[in-house]
Amino acid sequence: MNIMERTFKYLDERLGTASLARATLRKVFPDHWSFLLGEIALFCLVVLIFTGTFLTFFYTPSIREVVYQGPYAPLQGSEVSAAYNSVLRLSFEVRAGLLMRQIHHWAALVFVAAIVVHLCRIFFTGAFRRPREVNWLIGIGLLFLALGEGFTGYSLPDDLLSGIGLRIFYSVTLAIPVVGTWVTYLLFGGEFPAPDIISRLFVFHIMLIPALLLALVAVHIAILVLQKHTQFPGPGHSERNVVGKRLWPEQTFKSVSLLLFVTAVLALLGGLGQINPVWQYGPFVPYNVTSPAQPDWYIGFLDGALRLGPPWDLTLWGFTISEVFWPAILFPGIAFGILTLWPWIERRFTRDRAEHHLLDHPRDTPVRTGIGAAGLMVFFIMFLEGGNDIFGVLLNVTVETITRILQWSLVIAPILTFLVTYWTCKSLSRTRLRPARINAGVRLSRTPDGGYETVSLEPAATDGEREPAGTGQHGS
Amino acid sequence: MTDSDQGSERVDVDRRSEQGPAGAPGGPGDRGGRPDQAMTGGQRRAERRAAVALAVAILAGIGLFIVYFAGGQTQIEGVLFAIAFGGLGIALGVWANHLLDAREVVEERHELTSGAAGRQAFEMALTEEVGPVLGRRSVLVGLLAGAGGALGLALLLPVLSLGPAPGNSLKVTPWRRGLRVVDEEGQPVSLDQVPQDGFLTVFPEGHEGTADAQALLIHVRPGSLRLPPERMAGVPEGTHVAYSKICTHAGCPVSLYEQETSRILCPCHQSQFDVSDGAKPFFGPAARPLPQLPLGVDEQRVLIAEGDFTEPVGPAFWDRGRQ
Repeated sequence: MNIMERTFKYLDERLGTASLARATLRKVFPDHWSFLLGEIALFCLVVLIFTGTFLTFFYTPSIREVVYQGPYAPLQGSEVSAAYNSVLRLSFEVRAGLLMRQIHHWAALVFVAAIVVHLCRIFFTGAFRRPREVNWLIGIGLLFLALGEGFTGYSLPDDLLSGIGLRIFYSVTLAIPVVGTWVTYLLFGGEFPAPDIISRLFVFHIMLIPALLLALVAVHIAILVLQKHTQFPGPGHSERNVVGKRLWPEQTFKSVSLLLFVTAVLALLGGLGQINPVWQYGPFVPYNVTSPAQPDWYIGFLDGALRLGPPWDLTLWGFTISEVFWPAILFPGIAFGILTLWPWIERRFTRDRAEHHLLDHPRDTPVRTGIGAAGLMVFFIMFLEGGNDIFGVLLNVTVETITRILQWSLVIAPILTFLVTYWTCKSLSRTRLRPARINAGVRLSRTPDGGYETVSLEPAATDGEREPAGTGQHGS
Repeated sequence: MTDSDQGSERVDVDRRSEQGPAGAPGGPGDRGGRPDQAMTGGQRRAERRAAVALAVAILAGIGLFIVYFAGGQTQIEGVLFAIAFGGLGIALGVWANHLLDAREVVEERHELTSGAAGRQAFEMALTEEVGPVLGRRSVLVGLLAGAGGALGLALLLPVLSLGPAPGNSLKVTPWRRGLRVVDEEGQPVSLDQVPQDGFLTVFPEGHEGTADAQALLIHVRPGSLRLPPERMAGVPEGTHVAYSKICTHAGCPVSLYEQETSRILCPCHQSQFDVSDGAKPFFGPAARPLPQLPLGVDEQRVLIAEGDFTEPVGPAFWDRGRQ
């Protein structure tokens, strides 16, 4: 027996790994590009963990005042926090430090983007339906954790731009009815800018949120393996099977290749795309502000919501509800509440309690597709408003005009989006045209003796398993 | 072996292969053949491509060594990392698409539920094994729950140590009657120091840079202020007015002042406040005016505070209006 065989035997006799490993290697992955979106998010997380670990070796989570004496001339001699100082040192004095920092930041942006697009895929194809509601909830939890991870990380350098972001976040938590002041004081450790906030953000960013994130990712994937993948309707695809490529070798090669590509793109962005140049913003000073001030893209909708919000505060029996409450607490509460509960909301109307492993084509579910598109439009308008000062300069119109237009758009555009999407889906569905798919129809095959023949696309069954039982739903 | 299994054993036409008939309507799903068969031209080319990609990755890796030891250079390092990872990615991608025996396989789903029988067995187990253990000791179980609850709440108490009680702290600032007005360096500000239409960020002496005390001192034109008499009393010579610099919307410093229109603009969310009309908001999301800081003058014409701001500064909070 060679060393490999002996190792396998050793492990199998103690852990029973052989049958598990065999089943894992044979796991079947549907062959469709949209199934790779979640993987992109996962691979960004891998890059984030590696680059982030490197960054922690240099970062100082403290607002103790120090005098900057590094090589960046414009700031030499100025009083900055130890946190800010350590980020400058990492950027200018640690070899490959800036690269790691920029890759980390880009990876965070792509991470959230990949999660959002993955979420859209799940939503628009109905992949959240029974039995996958639990994994939908976990996915939403992961989205929130990713947003929290992004915001806390973005605030760590203690620069002027992120300090303003923290100030706004503090104001938002203050606006929570009844318990807002207490929650804010416990979270921030006192009135802004309380001295403990940076070190607390650090603990959230490198321990609490990542621990939860990784735990939930593990459960997310475990449930995926347990329930097996969904698949689009197609020849040989049924509710009772999964058709695709095995984990080994096809999917492994593909996934590792994707991991490498994701890393390559992030390295390129981190090397060439300057991001968050905190030395240009300067250190945080509570009475200064940068202008224009835009957060990372995934917080943009919230900043835009704050800009669009109506100037209505409310006093009831001497208690105040801030104008910040409507756009920054109530709106996200409702929007993300609907998103979280969507599987149950939809079921109330469709009364569909059956298990679904075959995906919907978005065109075949015009109401869901329309609602999803309208929801995206709401977020998109708020995102645009988040840059109203930049658009004002670019388009040479006043900020007031842009804000008014977008306020009206917020009422009109989602309705229009819903109607247009609904009717587009309806007419596409009626024409019975289908997007061209790789495995549609028949295939021409070469026989071993050199001739050609057409073969029907009934896929092969895995060893030890039965033929596809039902023909299922053939889409075309 | 089933029929369909044999079907997949057939070598499919590689659409890119020159050996295939021109314009063959072959699906691109399965490319490449069995390893024991002779390599097609397409496979040979794929292998060559993968080899080139790997060679490039090796060179980029060596390049990274050189750049690092030569002192490091962010852009070149990024590009070399991208080439190295990209080369590996291309090689594996080509391998996956052209050199693997890519077979489509079917996996049957199994029932997720344990079924009625399974659930019933579990219920039986519960009633037989949990019931007798806990049911007979109902007093103890009740006390156990009580002890757990009490201990659980006690364990939560340290959360309260995370911050001080808010108390009155959001409603007051360090400004007191008689404190001199200073700039961010701590220099006292006199009446003649700020030119007309000029403005300055000011603090109470001894609290320079304090977040909640920051105020905007503006030297407006005589007669331009429209304030009630009791608030005009806090405006020396009718021209030196001070407002809190913290936006009442979300707390950003309102650092933009436009003298022609005498408005203060918050750069974060574009709330605009009318300086001549008590800093009332007239556009944007802010709902409340910037609180005014009543000012006076001492014998050396240095500005002093006549008291704290007229209202709690900054964004609204739940008990803002309560004493």
